[in-house]
Amino acid sequence: MDIIVLIKQVPDTTDVKLDPKTGSLIREGVESIINPDDRHALEAAVNLKEEKGGKVTVISMGPPQAIDAISEALGMGADEGILLSDKAFAGADTWATSFTLGKAIEKVGKYDLVICGRQAIDGDTAQIGPQVAEYLRVPQVTYVCGIEKVGRKKIVLKRRLEDGFERVQCPLPALLTVIKEVNVPRFPRLGGLIDACGEKANIKVWNAADIGAQTRDVGLEGSLTHVIKTFAPKFKRQGEILEGESKEVVNTLVDKLVENNLI
Amino acid sequence: MLRSDSEKLVRKVMAKFVDEEVIPVATELDNKGEFPYHLFRKLADMGVLGIRYPKKVGGSGGNTTLYCICVEELARGLMSLAAITAMQCLMATDGLYRYGTKEMHEKYLRPAFRGEKIGAFQLTEPEAGSDLSNVRTLATKVEDGWVINGMKTWSTSGPIGSFHTVLTQTDPDKGLKGLMFFFIPADTPGFSHSKKFDTLGTRTSSLSEIYFNNCHVPDEYMLGELGRGLDVLLTILAEIRIMTACLAIGLLRAAMDDSIRYCKERVQFGKQIGKYQLVQAKIANMAVNLEAGKLMCYKVTHLIDNNVPCLNEASMAKYFTVESACSACDEATRIYGAYAYSMEYAVQRYYRDNRFLLYGGGTHEVLQTTIARQYLR
Repeated sequence: MDIIVLIKQVPDTTDVKLDPKTGSLIREGVESIINPDDRHALEAAVNLKEEKGGKVTVISMGPPQAIDAISEALGMGADEGILLSDKAFAGADTWATSFTLGKAIEKVGKYDLVICGRQAIDGDTAQIGPQVAEYLRVPQVTYVCGIEKVGRKKIVLKRRLEDGFERVQCPLPALLTVIKEVNVPRFPRLGGLIDACGEKANIKVWNAADIGAQTRDVGLEGSLTHVIKTFAPKFKRQGEILEGESKEVVNTLVDKLVENNLI
Repeated sequence: MLRSDSEKLVRKVMAKFVDEEVIPVATELDNKGEFPYHLFRKLADMGVLGIRYPKKVGGSGGNTTLYCICVEELARGLMSLAAITAMQCLMATDGLYRYGTKEMHEKYLRPAFRGEKIGAFQLTEPEAGSDLSNVRTLATKVEDGWVINGMKTWSTSGPIGSFHTVLTQTDPDKGLKGLMFFFIPADTPGFSHSKKFDTLGTRTSSLSEIYFNNCHVPDEYMLGELGRGLDVLLTILAEIRIMTACLAIGLLRAAMDDSIRYCKERVQFGKQIGKYQLVQAKIANMAVNLEAGKLMCYKVTHLIDNNVPCLNEASMAKYFTVESACSACDEATRIYGAYAYSMEYAVQRYYRDNRFLLYGGGTHEVLQTTIARQYLR
């Protein structure tokens, strides 16, 4: 079974702060990581490979330093990595990103499954997986929390809904987006990681020309949406702690609620 | 060609492992004082136990620098786990790797990398610590091999080890030239051990006395050439010292991280205690020693990786970083005040564990002498 996994290198947002003047992320000193949902996608792919045989190819679009995400993926068991890196890709919205990833998948050629994380923790759009599926014209199953049965031509999956679960049978090839409940990602094996850093590592770097894309279709130029402004919302609400005897506190609370037309 | 930096990535992966898998359970493990088999197996799965050995024998294809990065990160989480791992990766397996037969590699070395067998290294005796010329454990040549008699003490992983690399004396008249290492599986008739020692620190690590009563081993279990037994030790002595230095760096970082966190939390006289200059001085000393120690340590690991002799540099790094770690752990207990006296906070463990580093790889009293000798001759 040949599987393509789409991963993204993101800042570890538990540490991220916004510059109050520019509204942009302060990246200095912030660790970059593989997007958490994408680690689950990788684990799912490597598990399937170990069970069914085949090959796992990891694709990521990003700046040169995103090579670290690819190397780590190889340490987790992926067989091949492709970094899509070109100044022309910069500033891409989800449309242009999906187009670029779709072109790269077309260049890779044969695949049975494309697996993505549900969404990236920096953009939180959850649009890439579905858009890539549309570009490739393959069926998609989103919010996958269990891979139950894998045949040569179809796959049975459990997907999470707001109020329960759904069991879905889907023909192959298909695209899945997975959520964290699908598995527990392994730590990379150091031997694989060391190999991934070596000259003989099975990692390719492709630019726009390599995937046959025109610069007008990728990056900022190929984007249908543009970010006008980024800012950190100001929290205006302030809490107030009432102190004193219970009866007195309750009376004060009721008075304040009435005063603010809340009751 | 665009490629990642293996040192950066290995550190990142090990740091994540320590943050997610080790630190949350470190206090509980230390309290129980049992060998942390589940973490040991996880480290094996990640290929840490074979980090410094080539892939052709089942290792991960790394080097001394990557090995030291691994043990430094582990020491930041739990010193005893780091010590056990450091032993398995180096002293317990290096002689087996260099001098063992292919059959010994299949039976013991590869399973050691998989975490299925635990190795131990037997050097110290009651009357032979720094003075190895006084080793009394006797190896006697017989027709079909050797017979070992004697005892060892302070053996890390001794009571749980599946196999042991043991320093013996083959000819008491020859002194240091009579010393030889032997490979002795724990299931060899005549092999036994004492109860696990009750220790001040590194409590998940198992230390004991080991006894050899007419332990018969075949000729191929002699590690190295007769008369050149100390080479087994000298080959890795710089690496043992720099590994110990990197354990100290990990411990220093743990003490410093906890101190910084507490400095920001604890308020006295209306101010965070980190705003007071005398507390700032303690953090500054930790930071300066940490940066200097890291420079010393990783200079040495790169020298070893390039086959450059560096025993004196390794000795200096061990001496400096361990003293720095001891000082940082002491200062951390002062920053925490009375709370450091409670078993609830990890700083008490750092304070107990730092003593372990003073003895392994050479006492500082001996190291200072050997360092000075390089300049006074």
